[in-house]
Amino acid sequence: MTAPGAAIRIRNVSHHFGEEGDPQRVVALRDATLEVARGELLCLIGPSGCGKSTLLNIAGGLVAPSEGTVEIGETRVRGPLPREVAYVFQESALFPWSTVAENVKLGMLFQGVPEAEREARAESALEAVGLAEFAQHFPDQLSGGMRQRAALARALSLQTEILLMDEPFGALDEQTRLLMGEWLVGIRRRARKAVVFVTHSLQEAIALSDRIVVMTARPGRIKDVLDVTLPFPRDLNAPEVTELRAKLWEQVREESLKAMGTLP
Amino acid sequence: MTVLAWRLGILVGFFAVWEAVAAPLNPLFYIRPSSLPGALLGMWRVPDLPPLGEHVWLTLQEIAGAYVLAVAAGLWLGFLLGLRRTVGRIYEPLLAALYAVPSVVWYPSLMLFFGLGSASKIAFGVLLGFFPIVLSVLAGIRQVPATLVTVAQSMGARPFTVFRKVMLPAMASTMVGGLRAGLALSVVGVLVGEILGSRAGIGYVINYAYGLMMTREYAVLALLAAAAVLALDTAGALVEARVKRWAG
Repeated sequence: MTAPGAAIRIRNVSHHFGEEGDPQRVVALRDATLEVARGELLCLIGPSGCGKSTLLNIAGGLVAPSEGTVEIGETRVRGPLPREVAYVFQESALFPWSTVAENVKLGMLFQGVPEAEREARAESALEAVGLAEFAQHFPDQLSGGMRQRAALARALSLQTEILLMDEPFGALDEQTRLLMGEWLVGIRRRARKAVVFVTHSLQEAIALSDRIVVMTARPGRIKDVLDVTLPFPRDLNAPEVTELRAKLWEQVREESLKAMGTLP
Repeated sequence: MTVLAWRLGILVGFFAVWEAVAAPLNPLFYIRPSSLPGALLGMWRVPDLPPLGEHVWLTLQEIAGAYVLAVAAGLWLGFLLGLRRTVGRIYEPLLAALYAVPSVVWYPSLMLFFGLGSASKIAFGVLLGFFPIVLSVLAGIRQVPATLVTVAQSMGARPFTVFRKVMLPAMASTMVGGLRAGLALSVVGVLVGEILGSRAGIGYVINYAYGLMMTREYAVLALLAAAAVLALDTAGALVEARVKRWAG
């Protein structure tokens, strides 16, 4: 797994919150090594509190790891890389005082994209997520799913090679979540990006991923990496999917029980 | 429109009842509203006082000075304490404790420091107006959603851009509420300061009239001051509504 075309290289990353000797010190990650290939969608899955989000934030440079290094392309990551990495967060990450279109354009504004191009890119990004008609609406006038699509449009408009998504559909209801997954698969067919996707839904991981990384209970380590080679769009009732889900569940279940402190 | 008509009606009714009740009673203690305009005219030029207009102008200047200083100090200290967490954690409880002390207890010492003139009135207006402003800035900063700051940073916003595009809009409505309360209290501070001890200004004239048992004159001046405070606060409310619409 040392493809020369890796989009993100995470090497021996450990992370803790709080100082040594502090009784509230938490070791969130221990010695995680992982490469994300260009254009692949990689899901991080594992029990709550296993450091999935921390790993994602370290990969994008939002959090500096206590130990280890991250490289994006040829650059060692030391802070946010807005030209290479775009984010979609779980919820309420839109600016409530701006319209959908202004929200999408804001990221480009921060990066000094000229006005005319901002306009054009925002329009096509909103088109891609089916929100063209809602450009002048405010976030609180949209449903949860539409808000997440707007956040996705904002991330797409930045035209980065890498998209980091932290449980982006986690707060949505089941049907909307499935449909959002289909949207994402469709969008990726047009714009090939490396995506790291944190989720706690096995279903979602199987529907979207090229590879699934299972993490252990805290301190989070990488337990297993599963390749998912089924063609898109995926039939979630196919026998291979059922088999994969059972295998995945076995691993996640074991770690979740450890996280809860009971192993029957 | 009907609301406005009702308000007007209530006001007229209020004066009518007042007039009716006061008419048969001792005019020294029970002032009839119909005697107020005459009293105001009489007050306009009192032989041993400067013209009333000069007092009004002085008081307005003191209020403006006090409010500008209160805003400057309140915003500066608020952002200093709010943005530097350690400094904030040290000083914020002190600030809240000071706010709980009735500010009038400080007034004699302000008079000692700043004298009987305008400076002590301005200082008292600053003292009163400052607290709601600084506390609203602190509350506003705490209200800024951490996710939005992270989002902006992830998209390449520099610290000043985060401040202007994320923090200010997110805290605008709380902060404007504090600025409005600060204005009202600055006005109170200046007027109370003048009444407690001064040689000029509206508060002084009020006190002068009161001291000479010129109750009609006293009443009309007090009403005028109340109307002025109301007008200022209404202006503040309009600005507040505008900002809230802007910040969403």
